[in-house]
Amino acid sequence: MRLSPEQFWTYSEWLFQKNGLRDGFFLALVLAILGFVIGYIVAVIKHGPSEGFLHVARIIGQLFAVDIPKMSFRRIFAMAKLAIKESIRKKVLVVVGIFIVGMMFAGWYLDENADYPARLYISFVLTMTNYMVIVLGLFVSCFSIPADIKSRTIYTIVTKPVRPLELFLGRVLGFTAIGTLVLVAMGLLSYVFVVRGLKHTHETVTTSAEGTIGETSYVSRHKHTYTLNESGRGTTNEVKGHRHIVEKVGDKIIVKEPIDDLTARVPVYAKSLAFTGRDGENNTGYNVGYMSEYQKYIEGDTLSSAVWRFEGVSPSLFKDVISYDMTISAFRTYKGDIVTPVGGIIYFRSIDGNAETEREAFKVKEFQVDRRTIKTKVKGFKDGQPAELDFFKDIAPNGSFEVVIRCQDRGQYLGMAAADVYLRPNDLQFWWNFVKGYISIWLQMFIVICFGVMFSTFLSGPVAIIATISAIVLGFFGFFIDQIQSTNTKGGGPLESLIRIPLQTGSQIELDLGNEALQTAITKIDEQLLRAVVQLKNAVPNFDQLGTADFVAYGFNLFGGLLGRHLTIAFGYFILTSLVSYFFLKTREMAA
Amino acid sequence: MATTLAQNPAAPNSVNDPTNVIVETRNLGKIYRDFWGRKKVNALKSLDLEVRKGEIFGLLGPNGSGKSTTIKLMLGLLFPTAGRVFVFGKEATDVSKNERIGYLPEESYLYKFLNAEETLDFYGRLFDMSAEVRRERTEKLIQMVGLQRARRRQLREYSKGMTRRIGLAQALINEPEFLVLDEPTTGLDPIGTREMKDLILRLREEGKTILLCSHQLADVQDVCDRVAILHQGELKELGRVDSLLKVQDVTEIHASGLSEEAKKEIQAIIERSGGALKRMDNPTTTMEELFLDIVRESEQRPGRRGSNS
Repeated sequence: MRLSPEQFWTYSEWLFQKNGLRDGFFLALVLAILGFVIGYIVAVIKHGPSEGFLHVARIIGQLFAVDIPKMSFRRIFAMAKLAIKESIRKKVLVVVGIFIVGMMFAGWYLDENADYPARLYISFVLTMTNYMVIVLGLFVSCFSIPADIKSRTIYTIVTKPVRPLELFLGRVLGFTAIGTLVLVAMGLLSYVFVVRGLKHTHETVTTSAEGTIGETSYVSRHKHTYTLNESGRGTTNEVKGHRHIVEKVGDKIIVKEPIDDLTARVPVYAKSLAFTGRDGENNTGYNVGYMSEYQKYIEGDTLSSAVWRFEGVSPSLFKDVISYDMTISAFRTYKGDIVTPVGGIIYFRSIDGNAETEREAFKVKEFQVDRRTIKTKVKGFKDGQPAELDFFKDIAPNGSFEVVIRCQDRGQYLGMAAADVYLRPNDLQFWWNFVKGYISIWLQMFIVICFGVMFSTFLSGPVAIIATISAIVLGFFGFFIDQIQSTNTKGGGPLESLIRIPLQTGSQIELDLGNEALQTAITKIDEQLLRAVVQLKNAVPNFDQLGTADFVAYGFNLFGGLLGRHLTIAFGYFILTSLVSYFFLKTREMAA
Repeated sequence: MATTLAQNPAAPNSVNDPTNVIVETRNLGKIYRDFWGRKKVNALKSLDLEVRKGEIFGLLGPNGSGKSTTIKLMLGLLFPTAGRVFVFGKEATDVSKNERIGYLPEESYLYKFLNAEETLDFYGRLFDMSAEVRRERTEKLIQMVGLQRARRRQLREYSKGMTRRIGLAQALINEPEFLVLDEPTTGLDPIGTREMKDLILRLREEGKTILLCSHQLADVQDVCDRVAILHQGELKELGRVDSLLKVQDVTEIHASGLSEEAKKEIQAIIERSGGALKRMDNPTTTMEELFLDIVRESEQRPGRRGSNS
């Protein structure tokens, strides 16, 4: 799992420093102006310029003067209740049944040889729930209002003192409630499925003469080795992402249930990662030529180093031992001894550089989480002299310190990103993280319902579904649109690509139409088209970013800040869709 | 001697008092257009009419004459393409007017998966009524429309007449001052029709204003104080029912126990005073009357009905 830096901004950091609030307001302003202009144009066509303006002004005025102040929760709840009854009548709850069947068969197809079964199980249930709930939200939300208009039951509703916003809110609330019910059922079933699916234990098969070292039986396609201490307790090694506690009771050695497979690590990330080059000069790390620049590299056996700076780490998070995790990758320029991993050293030092711990050598564990610890009473150097150090007194007097990694093997490289070294205070409960994963899914469902109901206020059911799906798809491919716009994509923009197809001009060849002006025009038009698409993309939710299944599957605590951001974004869409729906319901002839 | 068709003359007395006008249309017109804005139908042409407080106003006309369009414009279900409609002095598109309106649509467009109680409770909530008021009104209305035994059945199981009754009950949930009834008697059997008419008259006595539209002339004739007759979107006739239907120069004589001589004498008197006897016969009852008599009688004396009655 790769965390990008913006994923671990805190909520206030995102809102104020990273311009979440400003961007949101800007987008709202753009949409408001756009909405007003479109509304006015439509009104002008219908009523003429001056009457049209009055019309638009009256509708906007009524929103704030009457329709919001006179909103009644009783009416909203009545319509929500109706929506729930309607959904139940449409046998929406059958979805839970389908989910159960899906899980029953999933047991057969989930790869038992997977390195991390927990990841596989969790991401399977979360992905399945996510898709099912989104499809469910899509169908219930898109057909309801059009069905009411078609069956004319809407006549008896809108001739009561029901306001347009209440019509929208009632549906959204009702469908969200039914979706929540389905989601809770799926969540409970998934939890049981994951926990039961991973539950196993081993027998002990071989033990050493002293009875302290041994090997377990082969169960669920793996076995462990273990070491016991003098008091007859110990743990196995980590295989397939979990360990077992082993205990000697009397003569028998008992292997307990797996631990560490369902975790919710609460990583404390560094504020920044800096690099030094071969001669110790500051640089941005070496690029070894991979397309993805997620990780940067340091060169072995030189002064090249990676320096993570941690700030404000509270001593209360740790007792005697500071745990930290490392996910470093290696890049070999020569094969060498392929069995032996590339080696590095790691040490901690104070910001002023006056105190540092002893350098500790490590071998890179590629594609794994390397769980490491350092004691708070540690040997090191202070002012150049060997000394016994107290971590939070000497190294991190105000919670700030640096972690330095160097590569030891000449000609080899180590790769790292900001999120690749993090401190790991006590884990949170897995179930709570699992719940947070479901809250994430819930938010996506909520956004889909908002969009579905919004589109259904002015489109027929099937068309509303297509519109909503388009919004979701546009969201999923948002990164792609960004990429096309930001980088100079080969083959040009939409118009140029369109021209290339009949001309059979490959994307590697420059387009030559034999007319400079025409070509410039095409490029310019393409630029504008792409800009428009990017704007549109920003107005639709990015479901790719809203998905947080990886956090739960990879055992990272889903930060409150990230969830808070998603909550804020969902709320933004809720407001947006409410307003759009209001204007459509207000200006629509229900009997037409 | 008596003139038939005598109506309850509960006519609005102060026609010019604006507070007495419930609905007012001014030069109201509606043109239906297709997606491209091309004119499809001119459904209503410059309609001017007033519905006054306390009267039963009938909108009459054949199918496609613009009755339903007029009602939908009044309720804000459609927007006019010309002119304006005011209900209680407010624009028809103003939602707050709905607080005082009850509407029975042409067919009862209700949620079929709800039962009678749930339906009334739901619509009561839309008027923001408290649970207590909702319970009380639901009870009262179910009694009133005679659905006590079907109160827990889903509307999908209802017969057409029952659906009509629950439709009426939902229209009355807010005790409206103004009631719009679109074809109130369609789908009802003669008893149901009569009950509906009695109910309409009773509601007027309670002081409600009623607008009904129908192509069942008999219904309109029986209950309406004033009618507007529409044809092809145009107002053809507007006035009091009694004055519209009274044939001024015809006298109808109904008498019993007359001998043939007496009849001849009466004929002679008519001829003497310059009139011409058109018809003097044993009057026939209407089919509706007859059917009702039969039913009424059979309820009093169950069993096979004897001859001559």
